[in-house]
Amino acid sequence: MPSQIVSLVVNGERREFIAAPGATLLACLRESLGLIAAKRGCAQGACGTCTVLVDGRPEAACLVAVETVADGSVRTLEGVTSGGELDEVQSAFIDCFATQCGFCTSGMIMVAEALLDRNPDPSEDDVIEAISGNVCRCTGYRPIVIAIMEAARRRREQAVPR
Amino acid sequence: MAIQAVHVPESLDGVVACSARGGRIMGGGTVVMPQLTSGSTAVTELVSLRRAGLGGVEVRDGVATIGAAATLTAVGEHPALAFLRPALRTIASPTIRNQATVGGNLFVAQPYGDLAVCLLALDATCEIAGPAGRRDAPVADVLAAGIAAGEVVVAVRVTLPEPGAWHYHKAMRRRLNSAAIVTVASVTSAGDRRIALGGLAPRPVRAVSAERLLSGRPLTPENLTEAGEAARADIDPFDDAYASAWYRARVLPVHLRRAFLP
Amino acid sequence: MTYRLAPIDTGAFVAERDGDHHTVIGSVVRRSDARGHVTGRTEFFEDVAAPRLAHLKMHRSARHHARITDVDVSGALAVPGVLRVLTHADVPNNVYTVLKLIGVEPDDEPVLAVDKVRYLGEPICAVVAETEAAALEGAAAIEVGYEDLPPVFDVEEALKEGAPLVNEYQGQNYFVYEGHHCRRIRFGDVEKAFGQADHVFEWRYQSSPIEQAPVETTGCVVVPQADGRLRIHSDTQACFFTLDNTALILGVPFNKLRIVGGTVGGGFGGKVDVVVEPIACVAAMAVDRPVKFVYDRAEEMQVSSPRAAERIVIKDAVMDDGRIIGRKVTLYVDAGAYARHSPYGTTKAAAHLPGPYTIPNVWADCHCVFTNRTPSSAMRGFGVTIADFALESQMDRIARALDMDPLQLRLINAYRDGDLKAHRKIAEGTALVEVIQKAAELAGHELPEAYRRMSSTTREGL
Repeated sequence: MPSQIVSLVVNGERREFIAAPGATLLACLRESLGLIAAKRGCAQGACGTCTVLVDGRPEAACLVAVETVADGSVRTLEGVTSGGELDEVQSAFIDCFATQCGFCTSGMIMVAEALLDRNPDPSEDDVIEAISGNVCRCTGYRPIVIAIMEAARRRREQAVPR
Repeated sequence: MAIQAVHVPESLDGVVACSARGGRIMGGGTVVMPQLTSGSTAVTELVSLRRAGLGGVEVRDGVATIGAAATLTAVGEHPALAFLRPALRTIASPTIRNQATVGGNLFVAQPYGDLAVCLLALDATCEIAGPAGRRDAPVADVLAAGIAAGEVVVAVRVTLPEPGAWHYHKAMRRRLNSAAIVTVASVTSAGDRRIALGGLAPRPVRAVSAERLLSGRPLTPENLTEAGEAARADIDPFDDAYASAWYRARVLPVHLRRAFLP
Repeated sequence: MTYRLAPIDTGAFVAERDGDHHTVIGSVVRRSDARGHVTGRTEFFEDVAAPRLAHLKMHRSARHHARITDVDVSGALAVPGVLRVLTHADVPNNVYTVLKLIGVEPDDEPVLAVDKVRYLGEPICAVVAETEAAALEGAAAIEVGYEDLPPVFDVEEALKEGAPLVNEYQGQNYFVYEGHHCRRIRFGDVEKAFGQADHVFEWRYQSSPIEQAPVETTGCVVVPQADGRLRIHSDTQACFFTLDNTALILGVPFNKLRIVGGTVGGGFGGKVDVVVEPIACVAAMAVDRPVKFVYDRAEEMQVSSPRAAERIVIKDAVMDDGRIIGRKVTLYVDAGAYARHSPYGTTKAAAHLPGPYTIPNVWADCHCVFTNRTPSSAMRGFGVTIADFALESQMDRIARALDMDPLQLRLINAYRDGDLKAHRKIAEGTALVEVIQKAAELAGHELPEAYRRMSSTTREGL
């Protein structure tokens, strides 16, 4: 079967592109759509750097054959920033020094977004479980957990409708 | 040979048709896709279950029928399957649980596939479809011998355990997201106690020697330790990055005991 | 739940702030790169969009130690999408060593294996293809004939008479330091010290290789420019080092290369080996297209150089009062099959001995040993970290054996400003005494008055 046109709603916009059979969602986002926030760290679902939201839930984009999510909705880190404004998770990651090399940051923020969408007041254990599929080799995780707790607090305080 | 096609049929008939033509069945892709990406599989056609309508969970008269394409997340979210939540939380990460499926879990080599260990303890039945029609098979047979080429597991059926009859314990290197060193799952029904083990053989195994020893005896630490020692006759442990075969066999009695007496 | 936002504890640094003169200490300074990271706009090497990008994958050695009898690349060339298969003959200056830039000799490592492989996973042929899948398939289709040679995996085995020779370019299984078989320290007379000592303690320490495991694997994208230059996007930690070594391997002037780097998805000291850029440049020139060569996770774990395994034997001459009057150290660094940064790491280990202590008699032999294991190289603090593990474990064990407080043992032996070190340098700005005192205070570990009064600038209490 030749390459085919695949359609996805990415960050709220319908996008169409040509994909070879079995192309991963990660490869399509990065190479066909130029959305490079999701990273390739292991290509086996073990590191979490490629995590994006598929129909609202975090998935490892390296494990998704793009045909299987055709016409679905995908959210990437590029879609978290709106009009140049950082959201609570992003700003908390800066303020709490939750990034160092930055390679895991995209995946970390996406699982945090999904967590806070479903649970605005997570416990520390909830946060740790949510990021348990995401490897960070720099921070020792503590600043990331703190940042996500802080983001939840800011979001609750501002009661931003989302 | 690179992948030639990924079929995403929207019905079971479509799945069976594609599978009969030689396509490899893919549940959530957590096992198949890395093989594809690393070039370590010769498969040229994939058949995804993602849209085949096999993701549902139905519960009737104390029996749950779980679609093969139900994700581990979906299983955990079903109120009638709440007893499985602690077990599911020991499997991979929430992200991977959004992708990994019940059906796929049956075909994963140990030390992965803890849900299959649970299903073995629960004496689940696999509903299988193939070119020759439908059939049922005990999950033990599917785990031990697989299914015929062209067949696909459609659903697994489990009788829900009575309150207090379910026990699960998994020993791993980290608190979250780590493969099994030893997994123990057990269910008691009508005095009959089934114990299944993971991490201790290439496939999940029944600890029949332990079951025999515990039959009609109270679950004391001494009896459980004795049963755990006896269960060494039922296992075929292996070395991997998580633990040595020696270590797995050595700590089996400890974890068998902890499954019942946390 | 309590947590703090600022990573710096202002309370502990009040005195250091010196009024308001030192405004950075105790204040929060945002990382300049954080906004890029949280918006996903930071550009790592693999984020570079290069039109007509080709992909490179390696065929690697399936043996630890073997002569290559035959290489058949026809299977790779038959794979649709394969553009080129590169062998050692395609690399202008195939044999190199990264530290030649600081005068280290000899060149001892081929970019692509010539007639022999010296470790499992050594690169033999590079396959360049239209797609990653085709490159992988091509690499798998190459057939290499081997004639097995006995491997050696242990540093002390490798130094024995009659051990298999690992690296012919080196000529023996150890790196030669200015005519010596190891990096040495000779200071005072340790044997005499052992004779005078109340106690002699000898213990042995061993570490395993440690993988840096960056989340972003080692790799580069090489883009040929219209003017004939090559632009190298790399995640190296050592841009200029990489540029110079790559130019030497290619046999081109340095100004024909440009490195775009500095954004590293985790390095931990490890991304300094110049292992992907040279062959990717050869490939980019051969196919006149951009080429990407990036390790997959398995390659990162298996063939990227780890921190070296070390074996360290420490023998100390110790008096009843805790004074160490002699220290003899025999240290082995397992360099693996090739030198890379290990000769330097071994020198660092020697430079670190005998630890931050004033010991009047010191003898050390630090061997940089070649074995048929994955070449080891740099990782943060290499040479020093494992030596410290051994030295400080030794200090704790001595304290236990003498029934002494381990901090007091260290304070008695800690170097002071003005002391002559084993390397015949005068110690300056040591501050170890104060650091131990402060650490004891913070940990609630009580020190007697005499020890609290000690100072790194006086000899009080000694």
